[in-house]
Amino acid sequence: MVMVAALEIRPSDGTRAALRAAGATYAARCYQCGTCSSVCELVTRDFTFPRRQMMLAQWGLGGSLARDPAVWLCHACSDCSTRCPRDAKPADVMQAARAVAVEGFAVPRLMGRIVSRAGATWPLLLGVPIASWALLVGLATGFAVAPHEVFAYERLVPHSLIYAVFFPVAAYVSLVGWISGRRFWSSLAGGERRRGAFLSALVPTLVDIILHRRFATCTTARSRRQGHLWLVLGFLGAAVTSGLLILAIYLMRAEMPLGLGHPFKLLGNLSAVFLAVGGWVLLRDRLAKRRHVGTTTAFDSFFLGVVVLVIATGIVVEAARFALDPRVAGWLYIVHLGAVMCLFLTTPYSKFAHILYRTLAMAHERMVASGRSVASRSETLDGSLAHPTH
Amino acid sequence: MEKMGVFLCTGCEIAEAVDVAGFEALCGENGAQRYATHPCLCSAEGLSAIRAAVEGGEIDGVLIAACSPRAKATEFAFDRTKVAVERVDLREQVAWSHEHGHEDTQMLAEDQLRMGLARLKRVKLVTPLVETIARTVLTVGGGRTGMQAALAAADLGSPVLLVETGTRLGGYLADVRYLVPERPPYDRIVPNDIREMAARVQAHPGITVHLSTGVERIDGQPGQFEVALRGPGGATTVKVGAIIQATGAAPYDAARLAGLGYGVSPNVITTLELEKMLNEGALQRPSDGKRPDRVAFVQCAGSRDEGHLPYCSSECCATSMKLAAAIHRDHGDVECAIVYRDLRAPGQLERFYKAVQEQPGSLFTRGVVTGVSGNGTGPLTLTVRESLLGDEVKLHADLVVLATGMVPRSADGEAIRAYVDAKRRAEHGDSEKVRKDAAALAEKLKDHAGTEILNLSYRQGPDLPVLQHGFPDSHYICFPYETRRTGIYAAGAVHSPMDAAQATEDAWGAAMKAVQCLAANSRGEAVHPRSGDLSIATFALQRCTQCKRCTEECPFGTINEDAKGTPEYNPLRCRRCGICLGACPERIISFPEYSIDAVASMIKAVEVPDADDEKPRILAFMCENDALPALEEAARRRLTWNAWMRIIPARCLGAVNTVWVADSLSTGFDGVLLLGCQKGDDYQCHYVKGSELAARRMSNVQETLDRLALEAERLQVVEVARDDWAKIPTIFAEFAKNIEDVGPNPYKGF
Repeated sequence: MVMVAALEIRPSDGTRAALRAAGATYAARCYQCGTCSSVCELVTRDFTFPRRQMMLAQWGLGGSLARDPAVWLCHACSDCSTRCPRDAKPADVMQAARAVAVEGFAVPRLMGRIVSRAGATWPLLLGVPIASWALLVGLATGFAVAPHEVFAYERLVPHSLIYAVFFPVAAYVSLVGWISGRRFWSSLAGGERRRGAFLSALVPTLVDIILHRRFATCTTARSRRQGHLWLVLGFLGAAVTSGLLILAIYLMRAEMPLGLGHPFKLLGNLSAVFLAVGGWVLLRDRLAKRRHVGTTTAFDSFFLGVVVLVIATGIVVEAARFALDPRVAGWLYIVHLGAVMCLFLTTPYSKFAHILYRTLAMAHERMVASGRSVASRSETLDGSLAHPTH
Repeated sequence: MEKMGVFLCTGCEIAEAVDVAGFEALCGENGAQRYATHPCLCSAEGLSAIRAAVEGGEIDGVLIAACSPRAKATEFAFDRTKVAVERVDLREQVAWSHEHGHEDTQMLAEDQLRMGLARLKRVKLVTPLVETIARTVLTVGGGRTGMQAALAAADLGSPVLLVETGTRLGGYLADVRYLVPERPPYDRIVPNDIREMAARVQAHPGITVHLSTGVERIDGQPGQFEVALRGPGGATTVKVGAIIQATGAAPYDAARLAGLGYGVSPNVITTLELEKMLNEGALQRPSDGKRPDRVAFVQCAGSRDEGHLPYCSSECCATSMKLAAAIHRDHGDVECAIVYRDLRAPGQLERFYKAVQEQPGSLFTRGVVTGVSGNGTGPLTLTVRESLLGDEVKLHADLVVLATGMVPRSADGEAIRAYVDAKRRAEHGDSEKVRKDAAALAEKLKDHAGTEILNLSYRQGPDLPVLQHGFPDSHYICFPYETRRTGIYAAGAVHSPMDAAQATEDAWGAAMKAVQCLAANSRGEAVHPRSGDLSIATFALQRCTQCKRCTEECPFGTINEDAKGTPEYNPLRCRRCGICLGACPERIISFPEYSIDAVASMIKAVEVPDADDEKPRILAFMCENDALPALEEAARRRLTWNAWMRIIPARCLGAVNTVWVADSLSTGFDGVLLLGCQKGDDYQCHYVKGSELAARRMSNVQETLDRLALEAERLQVVEVARDDWAKIPTIFAEFAKNIEDVGPNPYKGF
């Protein structure tokens, strides 16, 4: 592989400080022994990490890191950090590189900057959506809950209002994600040679992701893989439930709210259980500072906090409908909607963006591997197969 | 000696290996007046038998036929001023290494006894030289090493005279603000305490300090040096016993590093210049006085480079880290990049390295800086090759600091002498060619003119001889504090590249050596490595031809010469190696226990069988420092070797006179083997030059053999080390094979 741009180290340009602030606290300890790369289960023939990335982080070459797909091929399992003889915590450095990359590809840049400083800006990031929802609900219904046999949230927040907010938000997130993804994808094209169609690489990649195949190879972070799997399945279930509900309302003309025995309701509740279990495992590991969990930065805690808030308020809100005064339940619902909106809006700029970048990086890796296997078949004939270097 | 007694031990398998029944008669035939055996000679009973015979005046020469002289040294120690002692090795060299009961083993043991008696007959009692010794230690140089050496020697009870050519004490450290950590926790820079040290030196009652003072001349020998000093108060002469040269090192001349931007941009400076800048105040760019935001340290600037200094100065990495830490202490936001080839943080400095690495502004990266571009006041760009990612990297900086290596502040005494001689020959040479060659040599050596530091009145030159790279080091492995001038010790950075902590240790070492030398001098004993040897050389000057070989070849500059070239022996400079004895073509030099005659008679004492007997004989001269102990190690491990070998210990291969080779061949030996230490830059010779001289002399002898129609293969010099014991039987076997191929010595039986 060819390094396109000449490497230029400009100490004091702020990148090293940014990486340190993002968690690469101990990158400077690295003396390049390569233990990290040799113990990493995810290293492939084409992409070795994190030794090289440690060097780039020491040099403060944020641009090179942002263009580096290996940063995303790492699953932060900490196999390297637990074995590093200098305790340089390569997994943290990779995490910091991802945070800096997410900020670097953010559209608009201001949002990237705000979310990357979530340690300070989180009240704003969470407060604005909640306040907006309170305002919208106030304007729409004046918090007046019509008396009814069973309290239903639709009485407080009409479905139309939810559509009116979340469809544009989803469209915005998709657009912004598309632009960032395009930029990332084309920056990757400057490196290794890819071969084949994107879609044919994407499908097996998605299968890998859903089954957590890569994650399964990490030895240090087994419980995290489990937690993450529960969480992903929970989110998928919740998304499917949301789609099914729209079907139920407009095609099946079902009575809202659905009865507790309804299959859609069952799916939704099952997803909630998955989310709760997954969220609890991840939160427990992080709070207990398990050795496979790297340093927790604002990048991590903001994201995890919002996810946990969404899950917790979702479950509480469901129960509150039966147990609590409709007014209290209504406010909890508003908080839940705000948290969901916060999660949506920050997705392209928060740790959630790894869905986008890691998927693309893994597809890129597949395309490079198939490109290389074609190239090596022809190169081995004249014996000139060289070990790839970055 | 006249009255020789043989004491033979039959223990340790000696009696099983050989039939001792006939030995009494053999010893009697060879001049022994008394003969006794004991099953364990080193026991109290055995020893008291020897002592009784000596004290009763029955004998004045004791031959102990038992184990190697390196075994039971304490038990068999006798006062050599009262009785001569010869140790004949029947254990390691016979019983432990040859087939028991074999005819050849018996012949070997008999020859061992004959050789021992022949030698004992010719050795003399030792008369120690006891002279008045000046106890003062002169320390040349008032830097950290010189001051530490002065304090150490003074605390050990010797008066110290410290001379410094500069106007203040402290050396280069006087311009330095912080030091590399030298004690736990080793993770932070420490304030420089050189002023306090200087105050302690000034206040010490045992130390006299002379500033702005140089050494004009040093006459004499250890214990009796006469030192002429010239200082602000005029010239004075003092008597001193030992000298410590702690003249330190100078930074490599950065003017030769234009490729790294020095002299091209004002913002490229050396570590020493940065030390001074930080000591005097602010961190600033020389071009505009502004504070730099990015400082780049270039390690190995002009070091480990055949075009500049070929060696590593070992302390520049720690100094750069220290400066980066000092900058960080006052300017936390300044980024300090350190570009190294191989970062050296020896010992506990690894902790310091880690600590500096974790400073937020530190950027350590491996690479070779091949150029620094940018001039005037603009920013600088360093080109770094061979980075750890294999790519070429550009590094931007506002200030570049070159970590230059150390050049010892030494003078090459031998080169100065060679220059003076060449100048003289160039003017007064016998022929046009001699004058022309001498002029060319003088031109080559002219940089040495006027570089004198100690101004020794030694025939071989006015300063310590230097070895590699201008450092007056001597036998780094075995005797790290010795130089090639007895009683004069180099310490600190002039000795070899080192940091302040190592220099402190080195100063202690040199001070202890100096004090030890004075103690040995006062008893008339040799210093290292023949510590305790009381014998001194005698010169039969009436036969001297003034050939100057001894004065030129003595590795320690022991022998001066008068105007005619007659040697003037300085016994207190002498290490008793015998290299002069090996050099002398007239064979006029002898030691009481090691002389031409004694060894020649050993050679002649061996009964060489006729050619028809098919029992060749090979004589091996073996260096008793490494080769012989290695052979005995082989015996202790029960390796066996060729029984044709007859072995004569030599003080050094350089102490083997070529006449002995001639004697051996005329006695009928079929081959002569010399086993000694490695020569060359990585020499192992305990006397530095011995193996080299031996190799040269023996190659001359080989030419002579050719002229005498004798095969040059009959003489061979082999280098062995102390741990080469396993190879020695093979060396013997291969040489014996060659000798068999060449055939018997045609002079046998003449």
